[in-house]
Amino acid sequence: MSDLVIPQHILDDIVAHARELAPYECCGLLAGAGNQVNRVYRIKNIVAMEGAENLSSFDPAKAAHLERLSPAERAEIAFVMDMQDFSMAKKDIRNQGLALQVVYHSHPHDPARPSVTDIKIATDYEEIWPKINLPTPAYLLISLMHAEPDIKTYWIKAGQVTMADVLVH
Amino acid sequence: MIKVRIPTPLRPLTKGQGEVEAKAGSVLEMIETLNQAHPGIKDRLCDETGELRRFVNIYVNEEDIRFLNGKETFLKDGDEVSIVPAIAGG
Repeated sequence: MSDLVIPQHILDDIVAHARELAPYECCGLLAGAGNQVNRVYRIKNIVAMEGAENLSSFDPAKAAHLERLSPAERAEIAFVMDMQDFSMAKKDIRNQGLALQVVYHSHPHDPARPSVTDIKIATDYEEIWPKINLPTPAYLLISLMHAEPDIKTYWIKAGQVTMADVLVH
Repeated sequence: MIKVRIPTPLRPLTKGQGEVEAKAGSVLEMIETLNQAHPGIKDRLCDETGELRRFVNIYVNEEDIRFLNGKETFLKDGDEVSIVPAIAGG
């Protein structure tokens, strides 16, 4: 059995989201039941908001790099989820009787694999998911660096990255 | 006492502690108490108008305070509070 089954229209929706925001990174959540994904939640990327880099688990080098960039430039190489949007999505997921399955974001200029920052923050977050009563999600990346978008999904556990087994139909 | 979970990015302010205790009757009071013991923490959590920043959530016993009574949310002995930084990446 696949780790996740994602309908094509949901992938199309994520690609549309990534293209709408390019050259900035987009981010969001997928939720469903069992291994079946059936809902997309777009979340605002607020990396350009003052102070966001200080409370987002960026390592000091990445935070320093972000501080040197203009707000617009920051959103080309990073995302920070608007936690107000996140909470609304979390509540809706619960009300619909669904479960969080995937955190997604785009890499407008880079391949569809987790960056060092992605791995570090996902690893930090492993201890947070159970505290807020959510399962540890898979991480889906959309790369727009080539004409054809590339989408790959991973598990990130204890700093180790493995490909998730995803069926698209 | 209230148990407060501190996320990794704020641990430099709590001398590396991932969990601290505070005596407080509300979330607002908890933030003030934490800020006295660990100066600078309030600035990270609240903007200049005192509102919770959009890149942080505070959960009381797994419920987001935005769906309770915000910073006025009551706390009682034994409550567990989690300060949760935004999901982020590069």
